[in-house]
Amino acid sequence: MKSTRLRFTISVLVPLACAAMLAARMEVLRAGLYAPDGLGQITQSAPTALEDGSTYAVAAYSAFSIQLADGPGRGETQISCNTCHTVRYITMQPPLPAATWDAEVQKMIKTYGAQISDADAQKIIQYLQTHYAPETRK
Amino acid sequence: METPFHKISQRMPRRDWLRAVGATAGGVAWANVLLSDPVSSQEPSAAKPLPNFTGPSPNPYWNSVGSVVSEPQKAALLLLTDRPVQLETPRGNFLSAFTPNQAFYVRWHLDRIPNAVDLKTWRLRIEGNVSAPASLSLSQLMNNFPAQTIAAVNQCSGNSRSRFQPRLPGAQWGNGAMGNALWTGVRLRDLLSVARVKTGSLQLQFQGLELGEGPDGYGSRQYQKSLNLDDSVIDDCLVAYSMNGEPLPMLNGFPVRLVVPGYFATYWMKCLAFIRVLDKPDENFWMKTAYRIPDTPRGTTTPQELTAGSVKTIPINRMPVRSFLVSPDGSGKIPAGLPVQLKGVAFSGHGHIERVEVSSDNLKTWQAAQLGEDFGPYSFRTWQFSWKATSPGRHTIAVRASDEKGHVQPDESVWNPGGYLWNRIERQEFVVGTAE
Repeated sequence: MKSTRLRFTISVLVPLACAAMLAARMEVLRAGLYAPDGLGQITQSAPTALEDGSTYAVAAYSAFSIQLADGPGRGETQISCNTCHTVRYITMQPPLPAATWDAEVQKMIKTYGAQISDADAQKIIQYLQTHYAPETRK
Repeated sequence: METPFHKISQRMPRRDWLRAVGATAGGVAWANVLLSDPVSSQEPSAAKPLPNFTGPSPNPYWNSVGSVVSEPQKAALLLLTDRPVQLETPRGNFLSAFTPNQAFYVRWHLDRIPNAVDLKTWRLRIEGNVSAPASLSLSQLMNNFPAQTIAAVNQCSGNSRSRFQPRLPGAQWGNGAMGNALWTGVRLRDLLSVARVKTGSLQLQFQGLELGEGPDGYGSRQYQKSLNLDDSVIDDCLVAYSMNGEPLPMLNGFPVRLVVPGYFATYWMKCLAFIRVLDKPDENFWMKTAYRIPDTPRGTTTPQELTAGSVKTIPINRMPVRSFLVSPDGSGKIPAGLPVQLKGVAFSGHGHIERVEVSSDNLKTWQAAQLGEDFGPYSFRTWQFSWKATSPGRHTIAVRASDEKGHVQPDESVWNPGGYLWNRIERQEFVVGTAE
């Protein structure tokens, strides 16, 4: 009778108690969470082959694609703006009032000499005001 | 006394836990003890991306919100635009007085920037109103002139533009359009001596190798900046071929760039190729129209004054005093009672940092931080402050710097149409938890 109780204590209760005590000593609230998500990942660039001599070269810089909001005027906007700079300039902006978008397009034409027809300019302004203003920005 | 088991891991779902602990009556009993306290129900989900823009309110983040990207000779930086290249330095890189070249921010104006330079043909030309026009190779710059070294902060005029209210169009920088480096090169004065500047000269115009797609004569074609010849900053300027003891990364201006200690980066021409001595004021777009600030205290004005047309402007020049809390960055909690080393950097375009102070009571009282090594008047100065929050809750730490000319960082915002000169006191909220 005594030995049965001892055997039960040694074989069942002691290991259980040990497991519980070990777990209790690692008082972490959450652990081992992994989520299937590509965020945080950037691809490493391969090293460029360097040539001997007086030329100092680096690889091409990246041009990242960017999706502008769908709607009338998107094509004109992409073609005109991309001539000098990425259209990421548009998506980077905070939502801007309609008057500011109008002034920005006028500045590109008058100050920077962008070759944009009046008709296209109007389409571009309207497109930017429709999708990138405080009331409309998504 | 609470049970020591009150917060046990619940990594596995409850039923697996029960199965693992054991199916015996005793096991179930233990399991019930282990799980008797409800565990916090908020499970963190997968990391979510930041939005790709902020506004109309101020950008609430320390850095801008762009994606992390990898470019030649560069560590992971934050993308503002890819054409021209504009990359911001993430906050953690400002723990040291010198910003690693790999992490140094990048800002170009036009999209045709060099991918390769042939030093056999590249020359730095000094021309215009001079008696002896010069054309110097990198080897001549390195060997025929005494080398001079200076620690100096390079900060974009629009650094922190995303803080402005109302928000302004332009590159939406957070705080990371800045960096400090040890620049080595030739004194601009030595080069001017060689070319022999003629009397009656007014300005020096600088131009690099970048070009744009715009029509000739427009700012969208060429990027040119000028300094007045009688400006005392000319004495401090270097044409630098070394940055932190290495060649300049291509994106930071290889083979040489102008260093204008104390001045905003707009004058620090990258891939410098031309120094032109002018006998008339430079009226090109980048001097006459862009990079101008209101001629008012702190360069601040209002949208109303601007509309009224009453704002006189001058070219942007020296950088106002600033300080930053770099670490900890507030992304984790701090246990009450644990001393934490607050660390950051400070600098001023007007000279040495005299003082960095920390406030934990909403700017009512200030305590002096310990300053790190002094690398000269135009360098980052690191600072450190041991802070201990005794009570759990939300605590806001503010930091301000003062320079040798008596400028103290203010808590008032600045506003001007270019989004320049931001230097308001920075704050960081910390969540302090209970430690028992």
